[in-house]
Amino acid sequence: MIPDENARPLLEIRDLRKNFGAVEILKGVDLSLRPKEVVSIIGSSGSGKTTLLRCVNLLEEFQGGDIVLDGETIGYRTSGGKRVRLRDAELSRQRAMTGMVFQSFNLFPHLTAAGNVMLGLRKVKKLGKEEAFAIAEKWLGRVGLGTRLNHYPSQLSGGQQQRVAIARALAMNPKLVLLDEVTSALDPELVQEVLTTVKGIADDGATLLIVTHEMRFAREVSDRIVFMEQGRIAEQGTPEEIFGEGRSERLNAFLKSSRH
Amino acid sequence: MVMDAFLAQLWIARWPLFDGFLMTIGISVGAIVFGTILGCIVGIQLVFGSFLVKLPFRLYVDVMRGTPLLVLILAAFYIPAVMGLSLSASQAGTLALGLFAGAHIGELVRGSLQAIPPGQIEAGRAIGLRFPQILANVLLPQALRSALPPWINTGVELIKGSSLLSMIGVGELLLKTQEVIGRTFMTIEFYVFAGILYLIVNITLDVLGKSLERRLGARL
Repeated sequence: MIPDENARPLLEIRDLRKNFGAVEILKGVDLSLRPKEVVSIIGSSGSGKTTLLRCVNLLEEFQGGDIVLDGETIGYRTSGGKRVRLRDAELSRQRAMTGMVFQSFNLFPHLTAAGNVMLGLRKVKKLGKEEAFAIAEKWLGRVGLGTRLNHYPSQLSGGQQQRVAIARALAMNPKLVLLDEVTSALDPELVQEVLTTVKGIADDGATLLIVTHEMRFAREVSDRIVFMEQGRIAEQGTPEEIFGEGRSERLNAFLKSSRH
Repeated sequence: MVMDAFLAQLWIARWPLFDGFLMTIGISVGAIVFGTILGCIVGIQLVFGSFLVKLPFRLYVDVMRGTPLLVLILAAFYIPAVMGLSLSASQAGTLALGLFAGAHIGELVRGSLQAIPPGQIEAGRAIGLRFPQILANVLLPQALRSALPPWINTGVELIKGSSLLSMIGVGELLLKTQEVIGRTFMTIEFYVFAGILYLIVNITLDVLGKSLERRLGARL
């Protein structure tokens, strides 16, 4: 899918600042995503890329800057010149607009694959059981697990678990999907099935913000690559610009060190 | 025959003993229900409450766990009376056992909740669940499952502990047994009989717990 150049940004991050105590993790990040755009964030560990993703899903508090999702400023409101964190109910509503897939899957172990996908549909979207099951069936089928609906996470391989997690995120019909190093916890032989699934949903027109160490995958799936270094966006561009011949010295150094 | 004489006396005393047995079971069930509800609240507050909320719950748990059960029973019997509340002996007994169970179960729930990886809460948040929904649908089902074996154990402790209620005149199995002994002077025979009844109930509970554990364990 080719993103529309003129569309209003779906996600707009402005001067995002985040620190854990005295340690600055994000030192003013600006980034915007257009609808249907696929953006991958690369960078060495500690560069702040996962923290950035977690801020967008409001799993982390942040101390400065704004995140605007589909026209709505999320996470905080201004009251008498002061930033105030929104209440749990508001944060939950805003979190439901984004889907997130975690490095460590985080499936609910006491629920089946279908149960994992259905929970948000039932409790957040308030759908009936049949309707929620139909959606779960559709999405689990879409990630190639149509025959594993009633399996518990412990009965599935890592790759299958991660695909359930992808189905769980997408079934909520989020405006934006965040993928946090989704293959890092997988055995090498299971990586490809998950990447293929992600490629599939990108081709279907989902808007994706991806943190990854898989350079070849990032190059293949992304419209744009963002290179982060020490809490800032150091460079960004098309995959050709980032991975091509004319790349900068520091990017070159990072790409060399990240090759396994 | 000694045995014949005992069986004859047992037959005569069957209804009082049966009443005592029912009282033991009734009070234990009441206490575990009360204690479980209380324990869930306590466990949740001990993990997720603010510092000020935690304080009274922590105090409650430590006092209950540091006090002998018999002292708790006597306290539950005499203190409300002084305060003008009239509780029957069996009500006071159920209250004491329930408070005792609540503290133990509270600690069980706390431990089980803390053992759940933080990623579970994040995954719940990520799909838009509010915290109470995460608690009800994600955390408690997992915590209660892992707390099940020690929970059964608490139930066994309560059944045994309920025998202490004979001290405040609750007509449970031990007191009824003592009354029968007072009439028949068959001390050893009836004590052994009561002991076997306790044993049967507790072993049954244990077996039940183990099979439940096996069935649930397959999923986690």
